[in-house]
Amino acid sequence: MKMADGSTILRRNRPGTKAKDFCRWPDEPLEEMDSTLAVQQYIQQLIKRDPSNVELILTMPEAQDEGVWKYEHLRQFCMELNGLAVRLQKQCSPSTCTQMTATDQWIFLCAAHKTPKECPAIDYTRHTLDGAACLLNSNKYFPSRVSIKESSVTKLGSVCRRVYRIFSHAYFHHRRIFDEFEAETYLCHRFTHFVTKYNLMSKENLIVPINEEEDAAPGESEA
Amino acid sequence: MGTNSGATAGINNKPVGGAAVLGVGVGNSAVGGGVLSNSLGGVGSGGLSISGLSAGGQNANVGSIISGNMGGSGGGNNGSDDGGNGMGGPGGGPNNQQATTPQYTIPGILHYIQHEWSRFELERSQWDVDRAELQARIAMLLGERKCLESLKSDLTRRIKMLEYALRQERAKFYRLKYGTDPPALNEFKPSASEETGLGGDVATDSEVPYSSVSNTTWRQGRQMLRQYLAEIGYTDNIIDVRSNRVRSILGLNNNADHDGGIGSSGGENLSPNINGNESNKRASESDGRHTPAKKVQQSNDAIILDTEAAVMANFEFLGPTEMSDDDEISDDLEMVATDNDDNDVKMAKRPKSGKDMLSEDLEAEVGEHLLNDMNLMAEEVDSSLGLGELAQLTVNNDSEGSYDSNTKDGTGGSAGGAGYRKTWNAKYTLRSHFDGVRSLIFHPEEPVLITASEDHTLKLWNLQKTVQAKKSASLDVEPLYTFRAHTGPVLCLGMSASGETCYSGGVDGNIECWQLPSPNIDPYDCYDPNVHSGTLEGHTDAVWGLTTMQNNIVSCSADGTVKLWAPYTKEPLLRTYTAAEAEGGPSSVDFVRNEVDHIVVAYNSAHCIIYDTETGKQVIKLEAAQEMSGNTGKYINKVVSHPTLPITITAHEDRHIRFWDNTSGTLVHSMVAHLEPVTSLAVDAHGLYLLSGSHDCSIRLWNLDNKTCVQEITAHRKKFDESIFDVAFHATKPYIASAGADGLAKVFV
Repeated sequence: MKMADGSTILRRNRPGTKAKDFCRWPDEPLEEMDSTLAVQQYIQQLIKRDPSNVELILTMPEAQDEGVWKYEHLRQFCMELNGLAVRLQKQCSPSTCTQMTATDQWIFLCAAHKTPKECPAIDYTRHTLDGAACLLNSNKYFPSRVSIKESSVTKLGSVCRRVYRIFSHAYFHHRRIFDEFEAETYLCHRFTHFVTKYNLMSKENLIVPINEEEDAAPGESEA
Repeated sequence: MGTNSGATAGINNKPVGGAAVLGVGVGNSAVGGGVLSNSLGGVGSGGLSISGLSAGGQNANVGSIISGNMGGSGGGNNGSDDGGNGMGGPGGGPNNQQATTPQYTIPGILHYIQHEWSRFELERSQWDVDRAELQARIAMLLGERKCLESLKSDLTRRIKMLEYALRQERAKFYRLKYGTDPPALNEFKPSASEETGLGGDVATDSEVPYSSVSNTTWRQGRQMLRQYLAEIGYTDNIIDVRSNRVRSILGLNNNADHDGGIGSSGGENLSPNINGNESNKRASESDGRHTPAKKVQQSNDAIILDTEAAVMANFEFLGPTEMSDDDEISDDLEMVATDNDDNDVKMAKRPKSGKDMLSEDLEAEVGEHLLNDMNLMAEEVDSSLGLGELAQLTVNNDSEGSYDSNTKDGTGGSAGGAGYRKTWNAKYTLRSHFDGVRSLIFHPEEPVLITASEDHTLKLWNLQKTVQAKKSASLDVEPLYTFRAHTGPVLCLGMSASGETCYSGGVDGNIECWQLPSPNIDPYDCYDPNVHSGTLEGHTDAVWGLTTMQNNIVSCSADGTVKLWAPYTKEPLLRTYTAAEAEGGPSSVDFVRNEVDHIVVAYNSAHCIIYDTETGKQVIKLEAAQEMSGNTGKYINKVVSHPTLPITITAHEDRHIRFWDNTSGTLVHSMVAHLEPVTSLAVDAHGLYLLSGSHDCSIRLWNLDNKTCVQEITAHRKKFDESIFDVAFHATKPYIASAGADGLAKVFV
């Protein structure tokens, strides 16, 4: 990039930057990041470099607060899940998917309402993502991005459980969309790895058969 | 003519006898009197012309008594010179001439004496005029001196304040550093006065080392002091006091002028006989004689204007220092100010209702004030100091807290503005985006806004639906609706004038069209696919700029093109504008607001080009030859058009904001506006204020009239090297907003 040739590298997307150059700047070591958003920057940098290298992306740097690490990763997941939701919006309509299902065994109730109700799948998806965005940005539970209260860390688990259902619905009912998306982002793969590694979800809830395909990854992390 | 004829009259009279000598004398003097009366009468003070008239009358009498010829000719000449006035005399002359021709004796002498007396009278009245004039001049000079004295006293007061502030700051600094208090104060006293002897600059300079020594302790100390002052009640409206102080000096000057005016008119009154035509006389005479007297002689209004201008000129050199210093220390200093200038304060308080305001606002202020400071401390990343040209900005940055709280209730707009001054405070925090907010736009009428983020979504917010955040004065707002369609970061937004539809452009190269849901929608309502009402496809690379005008939108993209669209029509793409290769890609675009069918596009070459949308032809190129000699760093991040004037405003990578004349294409004004690249601009609907955002984490509000910074607010944190992406004004409601790389948007009221 043009701006990189001086003595200092300015990591900026100036107006007019081409899509291929967006965020394309030399990596910055985590130690040199002095921003309060350093963890997010670091995670995004790793994903940008190689989204398929799930192991590296999920490897927590030394001296990193685990709560913040998990929190920032979950933010990133929810953000990228928007991409899946956009694809689903085109195909998954209230008429075709009247309920949030995954296989025939599971029907999920939407927790965004006062009394959980059987929202159509697309509404469930949107409500869950919107709810997660509000919760993860809530000033009450997550007022800071450099330290997370112990009581709030428990919230992460329930967010994980809910957003995982979006993967499962897509996998079982919109397989083509799921595969395209997964090929691009490795998101479900990374997510499964993430929740297993940090014990955010119980194994029996992980119904998308990704572990069998990539049996090496979860095996390692559990060992 | 008068003298000649007088002389001939004398010659003619010579053979007549001994009395002829007398006659000649009388004739001369009569002529002389005539001349004198001419000069007086011509200049034209009423009193003088009367005396001239009387002299003329005497002339005629003398002429008529002493010699017919002489009287006739002299009188006649006088008459012609004198105009109507003189005619009365000579008119009587010829008639008397025949009747009294033979008498040359005692009455003649008597008349001569009489005439001499009248001459002396005349001279006396002239001296009176001169005296009056000199008195007027004295009065004027006295007035001027008064002016200067008050100016001087104000300056000394300022010096005292600075001294005091320096002492305080030093003491505080010492206290914070070593933990002891009183010895420090005494020790530092002499050196303080030494330094301040050098003037205001020293105070500013001496700041830099302090701040660089330990920014945090420094700031803490400052905050502590502010707290103390807040407790005593001195966090009041400093800006107002300051502006009023300026005004009070002007007021003094005006008074002085009035004094002068009264003095001079008093002087005139001393010689009432000259009152009538006085002004005429002065106009002609004084032009030659005394230049300083000029001022007094002009009409009263003119005088006031004049001196005002003069005083303003005097203040111009004070202007910058006041901006940088006074803000900064004024709240520490008000104590001194009120002690020292009781008189001035009275004057200053005159325009406003003084005490009421003070006590009313105090309570509300202290709280917000402290909060603001806390924010400042928490959010300020680093304001690197000692930046040469930017020193002033840095100082402003430090003084932000005091500025905010002190200008809060400000109604005393001092320098040429709409007369209102408002301080914006953060009220709403819009948190829900997972990544940087790239753009935001207000609904034209409702307290509703839309944000666009790098997390691929747009969100709709209703400022009336808030959640009270714990232990914070600001309110959190929850988004009402999330717009999902982009497959990459969303970069720009536009909204139709009706506020029914909005458009967004993203890295994916698409422009999405949205029908806005009701601002009272339930956030967890069912998905309505009709909200996403269309996609404008055509750009092949990231869409970076989008703006609307009536039913059209114009967009610019990293693919190098600018496109004009008419959404919701069969063929939405109306036209594509492509610049020469050398200009590079477009970075920002706006409609020229005061000219139909013109758009202004900023290019990577740091030039702006105005196109005619109908013909697609370039109308003018905005470039400044000397400014653009080196284009590096001058990259334009944002271009906006002034809503009413033919002015284009650009935000530059080199920290400048530049103003361009659309008709001539020339650079009108250029200013260093921020510590880091300026990223965003917005002009309020009336075209009076400009809002700018920068990667230095702050937004600044500018008075477009005098291009001064009215307020600075530290608003967002950095992510990588980016901080603030967008700023906006609400078109009809008092809201401003900023969008940041930290994923937040903030609304200020």
